[in-house]
Amino acid sequence: MPLRVVIVGGGAGGIGAAGGVKQAAPDAEVTVFTEFEDVAYSPCGIPYVHGREIDDFASLFLADKEAYVQAGIDIHYETRVTSIDPDRRTVHVEEPAGDIGDVPYDRLIVATGFDYADPGVPGTDLGGLYYVKNIRRAMEWDKVLDSVSRAVVVEASPLGLEMTTALAHRGIETHLIDPRPWPLADVADPDIMAPVEESWAEMGVIMHFTTKLEGFLGDRTVRAVATSTGELPCELAVVCTHKQPNNALARAAGLEIGSTGGLIVDERMETSRPGVFGAGDCVELPHGVTWVPVQGLSGSHAYAQGKAAGVNAAGGERRYSPVYVPWAMVAGKWMIGGVSFGETLAKALGIPYVVGLADGISRARYYPGVRKTRVKLLGEPGTLRLIGAQMVGGEGIKERADFLAMAVRTGVTLEDLAWMENVYSPPIGALNEPIALAAQNALSRLKS
Amino acid sequence: MTDPSVRRLAARRRPLRHANLRFAGWLRHHSEHYLLEAAQTELAKQAGRTSPVGPTGPAAVFWRHVFVPVYRRLPWRVRRRVMARMPGSHRRAWHVPPDRRDPAV
Repeated sequence: MPLRVVIVGGGAGGIGAAGGVKQAAPDAEVTVFTEFEDVAYSPCGIPYVHGREIDDFASLFLADKEAYVQAGIDIHYETRVTSIDPDRRTVHVEEPAGDIGDVPYDRLIVATGFDYADPGVPGTDLGGLYYVKNIRRAMEWDKVLDSVSRAVVVEASPLGLEMTTALAHRGIETHLIDPRPWPLADVADPDIMAPVEESWAEMGVIMHFTTKLEGFLGDRTVRAVATSTGELPCELAVVCTHKQPNNALARAAGLEIGSTGGLIVDERMETSRPGVFGAGDCVELPHGVTWVPVQGLSGSHAYAQGKAAGVNAAGGERRYSPVYVPWAMVAGKWMIGGVSFGETLAKALGIPYVVGLADGISRARYYPGVRKTRVKLLGEPGTLRLIGAQMVGGEGIKERADFLAMAVRTGVTLEDLAWMENVYSPPIGALNEPIALAAQNALSRLKS
Repeated sequence: MTDPSVRRLAARRRPLRHANLRFAGWLRHHSEHYLLEAAQTELAKQAGRTSPVGPTGPAAVFWRHVFVPVYRRLPWRVRRRVMARMPGSHRRAWHVPPDRRDPAV
């Protein structure tokens, strides 16, 4: 009898897991249950369709439903798993047409993703509040955006930054509110975000930092957002609060949940119950530098975790590693990014660090399109091992973040980076690599 | 024999008590919020920006004026040890990358 693997969730973690199972055990019976109408699209691309950088939502789909049928992956759409019984090894499933009962499994993979944190204010039941998640709803909201002249984005989270940029790009008067002093303040440092704020101002974004959300006002649909500094009239509010692990099912099934709210897993992505695995935004993983568990990473993390969970669930062997969290994104007219943590998080945790900062350039200074590239490096005092980095620039931020993540992971020091070799080619790289300049700056500070 | 490349903070695997897990979640949520708020306040001041606005009331006073200063006075090693004791994925088995300082060939 073939191995029966049930996957709850059809996002990046769930679909990665399905592929991982089939890779390790091609004959396995793989069943995926998803509440949504679709799988295998890029939800991260939704803000760019709203911003008109991408022409249509169809471009965001990676494969059609038939491709999964051909791959032997049985996906049940618009189907809700209502409970998990790890003792009997069954999940209880409901479809729109009615209860289809208990489905047995040999291995289970939980990839239930995230929910947005409840804003915790009056008026969250009003119409006109947009939570970006499902592509079908995004298609409907995209039509609504044609008639919106004023919008409020609630919280300068990563999605908040993308939606603020997208709405401004679309010509909508966009207000951004956040109780913190600068955008993305739990992750990024103020000197990294300053150019982004300047560019938003140029794009017409009206920023309201150190401003608390107090409620959504309106009769049936939102007409204004109440804040600690006054009312902001709008026809639409985009709620971009913190992404919380969606673990109600796992919690009810008795799986152990960590301090982040994510499922506790090991390097095989196996949960506290043998034979039950987890992947994506619903799990937590140790940070490679601090060893503090973290949760809510990128789609690439979720997909790779899903692959590992799937391979291991099918009897193969694949280890997932502690995470160093390279990240990058476009905000305003800039790219921002980093790895591990910046000064804000280091200060919050009380991690000792030395810092190096440099403003370099992305190409030869005379080459058209050259942009400023600011790099900030954090090193461990004494050993000078790289422990974190943040960057803002016009190009090449993603590649630097990937490189620096590997540098942190492998124990590269500021001395190594100060005298690193680098590519020099006028259209794509300057004579002096900004990473090297930042490392040299850190060493100079230490000597002075 | 113990594999030296495996980092495991828990000596042996025992089911965790759900009350401990809930407490860990509560502590993490609040400590993270107020420690970040304190760091943002400090960096905002350096950058000439206004401080973050957060919750008010007796609980907030405790976290801001008791917990944060006490946490900050503790040496990093002590803080790290306390965090390592909290339940979580970091207490399961994880291989750490080997030191790759030797020549590759």
